[in-house]
Amino acid sequence: MTASRLLFVDDEEGFLELYRAAFSRDGYAVETTATIEGARERLAQGGIDLVILDIRLGEVSGLALLREIKAKDSSLPVVLSTAYARYQDDFSSWLADAYVVKSSELGELRQAVRRCLGGSL
Amino acid sequence: MSGRNLPKRSQARGHPARGRHRARGPVLRRIRPQRVLDLLRRVSEVLETVVDPEVAAWSVLVAYTAGEGLGFNRAFLLLAEEDQIRGWFGVGPRSRDEARELWTDLRQRGILPLDRLTEPDLEAVEAERRRHAATLAALSHDAVKGCGSWQRAFIARSHHPNSCVRHWAAVLDTRELAVVPLMAGDRPWGVVIADNFVTHAPIYYATLEAAETLAHYLRAALERTQLLLRFQEEKRRRMLAEHATALLDTARTLAHDLKNPLALAGGLAHEMMTAPPSDREGFTRQLGIVTAAVTRAEQRVAELVAGLASRADGISLGPVEVGALAERVTNAFRPLATGRQVRLLCYHPGRPLMAAAAIPSLERCLENLLSNALEALGESGGEIQVAVREDSGWVRLMVADNGLPLPAPMRVDPFAGGITTRRGGSGLGLASVRTLAEAMGGRVEYDEVDPGWVRFTLFLRRWS
Repeated sequence: MTASRLLFVDDEEGFLELYRAAFSRDGYAVETTATIEGARERLAQGGIDLVILDIRLGEVSGLALLREIKAKDSSLPVVLSTAYARYQDDFSSWLADAYVVKSSELGELRQAVRRCLGGSL
Repeated sequence: MSGRNLPKRSQARGHPARGRHRARGPVLRRIRPQRVLDLLRRVSEVLETVVDPEVAAWSVLVAYTAGEGLGFNRAFLLLAEEDQIRGWFGVGPRSRDEARELWTDLRQRGILPLDRLTEPDLEAVEAERRRHAATLAALSHDAVKGCGSWQRAFIARSHHPNSCVRHWAAVLDTRELAVVPLMAGDRPWGVVIADNFVTHAPIYYATLEAAETLAHYLRAALERTQLLLRFQEEKRRRMLAEHATALLDTARTLAHDLKNPLALAGGLAHEMMTAPPSDREGFTRQLGIVTAAVTRAEQRVAELVAGLASRADGISLGPVEVGALAERVTNAFRPLATGRQVRLLCYHPGRPLMAAAAIPSLERCLENLLSNALEALGESGGEIQVAVREDSGWVRLMVADNGLPLPAPMRVDPFAGGITTRRGGSGLGLASVRTLAEAMGGRVEYDEVDPGWVRFTLFLRRWS
């Protein structure tokens, strides 16, 4: 069985390193990018099963990318991962399939990923 | 504090009218009009500067009871509150023994109570209020019909037809009671009552008229000071609400700015424990990320703590070269100082001293302190020194002048605001300095350590 392919979008390289290490060990195929442009290019190529998106990407809002993704393919699940709990109140964030507040404990993010993928790797 | 000179027995006993008129009303004799006018002017001037309602009441009641004032033995202010006339403040001895002791003491020490009006001792005022608390509580009376609704002052006796007047006379165990009503439209606002329970001296018409005028002064002062207090309380509440909002916002920012690096450091450290990288390069790289994240969190804590006070007041702090700013603001005051024969000096080290401040706020602080110093020097000239110094984690900006010292009421807390004096103008200038200093995470202090000099020192955090 082919492992689900995750795309992590976060402007902080440290988090990308963490996600690569943790989710690769969980058996996922992990790809990362630090910019919205990088995410657009990679999504255009296809093959991504789930996007894990940081909201604050430098000076740019990840919510714009969320809207783009959902406009093109509403079936592609997106998990918002951010330190901003208050973005849960933003209507745009409601498009996301899950919303996870960043934590040193990755359990909640792992659960969200599994749930969005229907329990499969 | 209360008191009066011991009356000469011949004055009280020897007055030809006393025996004839005591039973019918005030004695038809005028005290010297000029003395009354002087008293009214003096009290009026004092009340202009008073910011505390109790001090206002104390000042007027001292004028009632001082020997060089209206000469009553004791006086009380009662205020109308809904359905009650409530005892509020009192001045004077509580008993004949206490009166003799107090008046003898004042006379032996050469104290004239009216001289104390310009520099009220707040502790003494509070003590006077506490001393009369029981009497004031006993004087309180339901505002029965007609109570306090008299149009003019009058002399009452124990058999007065109004029950509240009879109550006051009974509580005070007095033969004659001067009752000075204060009306607000057609409703009673308050009453001042006074008597001569020790000396039994007659109450003159002119005294009663002066008492009435003083009571009206008191009412105006009380209304003004109570309004000021309400204003200050309202301002305090508003500032607290604003601070709470700003602090909440700061807390959210703090949570976010710390959460990111801490989540990263914790998450990666956990990952390294669970599945340590097999290669040394990977281990070093991940450890480097953890270290960098922790360092970033530390930096954010330092920045946020430094900016906490400023954010609460909506002031954005940044590095400010205090010496250059002091020089610039001082120079702006130089023409005014020169015109007033004031020598204006500014000392600062040649090297830059950077403080965490907001330029407009710091300029306002220095402008207020310089204005205050110029006012203190008046037209007679003098010297103002502005100095910038480094003091471990602080930058000190000092403004000193050799003008008038601070009046006693201001020395307690020169930055409280609202006290109007020649030094300090509206009294809000120094209060503003403190508010701005604290908003910049600093503070302001006052001292007169060097004889003849008044110095204000602004402490600002060094920018690092």
